[in-house]
Amino acid sequence: MNAQTLLSLVLRFGTLSFFAVGGGISILIPQIHHEVVQQYGWLDDRSFAELLAVSQAAPGPNFLLVPLIGWRVAGWPGACLTLAAFLLGPFVITSIAAHVLHNHDSPVLARFRRAFRPVTSGLWIASGLVIAFAIDRRPVELIASLGVFGLSLAFDLNPVWLLLGAGALGAIIG
Amino acid sequence: MEPPARLALTDLAAAFAQIGLSSVGGAAGPLRHVIVKQRKWLDEATFAEIFGMCQALPGATGANMAVILGRRSGLIGSIVAVVALVTPSMLLAIAIAAFATHAAAHSTRFAAGETAVAAGAAGLFVANGTRLAVTLWRAVAEGDRTYRAIRSAVIVAGVVLVAGFRLWIPAAVVVLVVASILADRRTGKPS
Repeated sequence: MNAQTLLSLVLRFGTLSFFAVGGGISILIPQIHHEVVQQYGWLDDRSFAELLAVSQAAPGPNFLLVPLIGWRVAGWPGACLTLAAFLLGPFVITSIAAHVLHNHDSPVLARFRRAFRPVTSGLWIASGLVIAFAIDRRPVELIASLGVFGLSLAFDLNPVWLLLGAGALGAIIG
Repeated sequence: MEPPARLALTDLAAAFAQIGLSSVGGAAGPLRHVIVKQRKWLDEATFAEIFGMCQALPGATGANMAVILGRRSGLIGSIVAVVALVTPSMLLAIAIAAFATHAAAHSTRFAAGETAVAAGAAGLFVANGTRLAVTLWRAVAEGDRTYRAIRSAVIVAGVVLVAGFRLWIPAAVVVLVVASILADRRTGKPS
């Protein structure tokens, strides 16, 4: 694996980390998909779907999608460097903010947070739609998307059971 | 505020490794469980304040929380907490991904199941966004039509710009947040 790919991974995910605001990484998934699949051609749609599935269903923070992509594209150095690049910027900003803002609920932050909530809502919905457009090729996948959407909204079930249920459905109908 | 006690690096590492490995579908639950209930490092109100701050700052909420609690033991504390949060779960996720790739290559059923999980995750994102939209709608007092309309417009604009027009997401984030803050300031209604 060449150094240029590693450098591109580090730069791309280092940049994206600054925009993982308010809703965590979920709002960035369409952007990551676009860059990794279309722009750089590092992964195809199927591999991307596989890593997304693992990152969502496996125990661990959702942003593990980032080192998983690094690992698939450039092995262990890819996983470690991509994750470090994704964590570094926010690490510095949060350290400074914790130092400067002794009052954690400062009016500025409170206002920002309140203003961000509708943005998060819209971008989460958009994120799901973009991913569904990219991944849902057959009826079974459409059923999985709509089924999880409906069940989650109606009963607010634990997402892990919903995702495992979707997987079981896919394997049976498959 | 009381001066926070220094935390032993081993305690920080154990706590955040536990949080990382128990975070499925969001870190909020495990963060609160370990930090407030088990370890009693923060009370409910302080936790809520710091959690909100971690959401407003760039980066994953869990990692930001690790940075802030780790700071009680200095820079090294922050580093230990973040590394403990991500490392065990990353190793596990890579092991699962390696297995999944192998299994999908040998079984079309497994591959179909895997794609269905990703498709399900897409549905989950839409459900989470919709649930938040409903919460925001209900949070505004019945009479306050303007504020409600502005918030709804921001939500719809996010969906249309990103899903419809495929606007570059960092740009969409900046545009929508600025618009939302300006609208929020004009109406100035708390909720």
